[in-house]
Amino acid sequence: MTTTLEPKERTPRSAEEERLIALRKRDTRRKWFWRIAGYVVILGTWQWFSSNVFNSRIVPGPIQIVNVFPDLWNSGRFFESYAATLTRIGVGFSLSFLFGVVLGVATQIRWIAGFFKDSVTISLVSPGLVWALTGLVIWGFEPQGWIFAIFLTTFALVTVNIAEGIRALPKDLIDMSRAFGVTTWRRQREIVIPFLAPFIFTALRFGFSIAWKVTVLTEVFSSNAGIGFEMRVASQLFRMDEFWAWALSFFVFALILEKLVLQHYERKFFRWRQEVTH
Amino acid sequence: MATVSVPPIHKSRLRRVVTSPVTARIVFPFVVIAVWYVIYYTIDSRIFPTPLRVLEFMWEEVTLTSGIRFSSVADNLYEQFGISIFRLTTGFLIAMTVGTILGLAMGLSKAVDAFFHDWVMALLAMPALVWALALSIIFGFGNTAPILTVILAGTPFVVVNVREGVRNTPKDLIDMARSFEVPQGKVNRHVLMPSLMPFFFAALRYAYSIGWKGLVIAEVFGSQVGMGWAIRFWYDAHRAHGVIGYAIFFIIFAMTLEKVVFDPLARRVFRWRPSLDAYQLAEGDFGAVGQEGFLLEDDEIDHDVEIAGMEGHTDDG
Amino acid sequence: MAEIKVRDLHKEFGIGEDRVVALEKVNLDVKGHVFVSIVGPSGCGKSTLLNILSGIETPSSGLVTITQDNHDAEPGYVFQAARLLPWRTVMDNLLFVQKDRSDESRERCQRYLEMVQLGDKVDKYPGELSGGMQQRVGIARAFSIEPDVLFMDEPFSHLDAITARTLRRELHDMWRQTKKTILFVTHDVGEAVELSNRIVVFAKGGKLKDDLQIDLPFPRDPANDEVAVAKAQVLRKFEELDLVAS
Repeated sequence: MTTTLEPKERTPRSAEEERLIALRKRDTRRKWFWRIAGYVVILGTWQWFSSNVFNSRIVPGPIQIVNVFPDLWNSGRFFESYAATLTRIGVGFSLSFLFGVVLGVATQIRWIAGFFKDSVTISLVSPGLVWALTGLVIWGFEPQGWIFAIFLTTFALVTVNIAEGIRALPKDLIDMSRAFGVTTWRRQREIVIPFLAPFIFTALRFGFSIAWKVTVLTEVFSSNAGIGFEMRVASQLFRMDEFWAWALSFFVFALILEKLVLQHYERKFFRWRQEVTH
Repeated sequence: MATVSVPPIHKSRLRRVVTSPVTARIVFPFVVIAVWYVIYYTIDSRIFPTPLRVLEFMWEEVTLTSGIRFSSVADNLYEQFGISIFRLTTGFLIAMTVGTILGLAMGLSKAVDAFFHDWVMALLAMPALVWALALSIIFGFGNTAPILTVILAGTPFVVVNVREGVRNTPKDLIDMARSFEVPQGKVNRHVLMPSLMPFFFAALRYAYSIGWKGLVIAEVFGSQVGMGWAIRFWYDAHRAHGVIGYAIFFIIFAMTLEKVVFDPLARRVFRWRPSLDAYQLAEGDFGAVGQEGFLLEDDEIDHDVEIAGMEGHTDDG
Repeated sequence: MAEIKVRDLHKEFGIGEDRVVALEKVNLDVKGHVFVSIVGPSGCGKSTLLNILSGIETPSSGLVTITQDNHDAEPGYVFQAARLLPWRTVMDNLLFVQKDRSDESRERCQRYLEMVQLGDKVDKYPGELSGGMQQRVGIARAFSIEPDVLFMDEPFSHLDAITARTLRRELHDMWRQTKKTILFVTHDVGEAVELSNRIVVFAKGGKLKDDLQIDLPFPRDPANDEVAVAKAQVLRKFEELDLVAS
């Protein structure tokens, strides 16, 4: 027995709807106006202060900072420094992430959860500085130093997010797959991993952000390459425009990373959520 | 599918104790010390200390028997700590004030929100290190740079949390009160304030937490007194036991804050909430939190904040 | 043809004072092309019985044998909530429970989806479908592995009355066409009378109290007098067994 429905004809928009659309457009325009106003006022004030109130070597304005970028780019210093810093972050955070995931999964065993509980709390609560300095004082320039620092500042974050994800696993879907005799391997692939994906993304985002801060911190203290090193040198030479150029360059980098890489993958993974129409 | 009845297993008392997670928690520090000794005997380093040496150092600092004076201005652990706490509290109070005002403004007015939004996000993602270095260049040594660092590090967190609090006012409850013609003062006291409390509390907690982390970094670079400088002192002296000792002091301080101050406060503030709050993160099971302190409860925090770690990017939603 | 044998099935939780008996020494035989409803108040163990039969839970003691002609097939299961993977399309949800993803499997899934009037929605995500449609996908999924036995746990209780009525009729047609054994749990006596040849009655505490044959001809219209009378008789039985507060 089937029923068929005629598709509804597109009714012309009512006056009410027209008004709502107009209001929304006006809201968006206003928002943009104030947003741009913010940029103008803040950047303008900053520039003015830097030129007229402070010594512009010590407090550079936005214009000076932007002017530094081409030199850093052309001389290749950007690439060298980024290569050094990103390598460290990559190595350190990969280890930390791997361990964090394994631990996050393992905390389902209550004994393990109890064992590592305090280490997770301590890692979450202590300033990255203590790990950085401890690693540096013992190992100096050697990789163990910054690996130690990155590992201890970030592993707990990953663990916590993964553990949370695992605890939230939809038991009803897992029971369903067991009732249908679906193999364990397939279950992991089709249920566990897609479900954990957002938690993994979050762990990556936050973890990376923390890892970058700690890495730069270690570089400031003892290194001869990398973003932190460049920042230290710039500040010692009172070249604050260069200093800020380095600091802000990472914002740009992170923005690109976020927009191009992460959001692209997120869209792929989470298409099913975006398609919800009701 | 044949099955047989299975009698319940009776675990012996000893077995239950050994396999209990509480025991695991107690065992952990001993394992840490054991591993420490293993590293001590295998590592090729002249400055790597034994746990005993570190404890000895810490004891000397606490009982003022070390015979080493930091400086004429502040020569022991307590004086350093006092200076740091003073700076932290000053910065914290300013951050809370400025942050609350700005947060309220941004929550109540879309124009103000659009104006400041990107900048708050940028500040949120700025590492304290940058402020520490830049401000110490401008202001030299002294209290200004550290206090300003605390303010710059903490304010964006306050702003974001307060703004979220305003956005989350339970409109349905306010409408209900209005339909009963409850006077505005009563509505403020019984509906608005309590609904803002959790967010205000979050702001408080994270302003202090982040502020402390920022302060320490600021003192490392731009000060000659304070806890941050104390650890720097030992670092410059290549004395690992000093660095580790002070690192442990920091950790103890941070954990005391969390467990003794914020957790009980959180329990009181959130008493009426039936669900487990991730603010109780230090206790109980692991809750999902970003290290800079954000819940992953979707209905509470907007996704701008989740991505806050990624350097100022916003997800305009 | 399929056969289900349950012997002295017993399930309990907890020890001592906290002991809860979910199923008490249940004996049951089901054979052939029948539609058996399991009815009872909440807490009477009907869902537990189904969970044990489908392998989700293990019994405390007792014996369960399920024989199907197609030995490889698992019994199909339709849940109260559709339990679809939200991040997979409708077709992928059906493919998930197949033995393989061959063209043959795909065609088979397509066929069953068409049987539930969802042939054109194969690439949609569950989030885009209504509750009734999601439940239809669940039914198609259970049928698509072509088992001889199907378990259904209150599949229509979450739906509005009109959608439920439509789905009941579709389910009935599918049962008639495919000649399967269906075990159908419900708390709705009217639904049981409308759909089944046999009603098994459970009481609180997991006790099997009665086994009733309903011999009315199919298809049954709930508005029909005979059906209404049968329903009244069954309800009276419930009162006799002290299952309904009179």
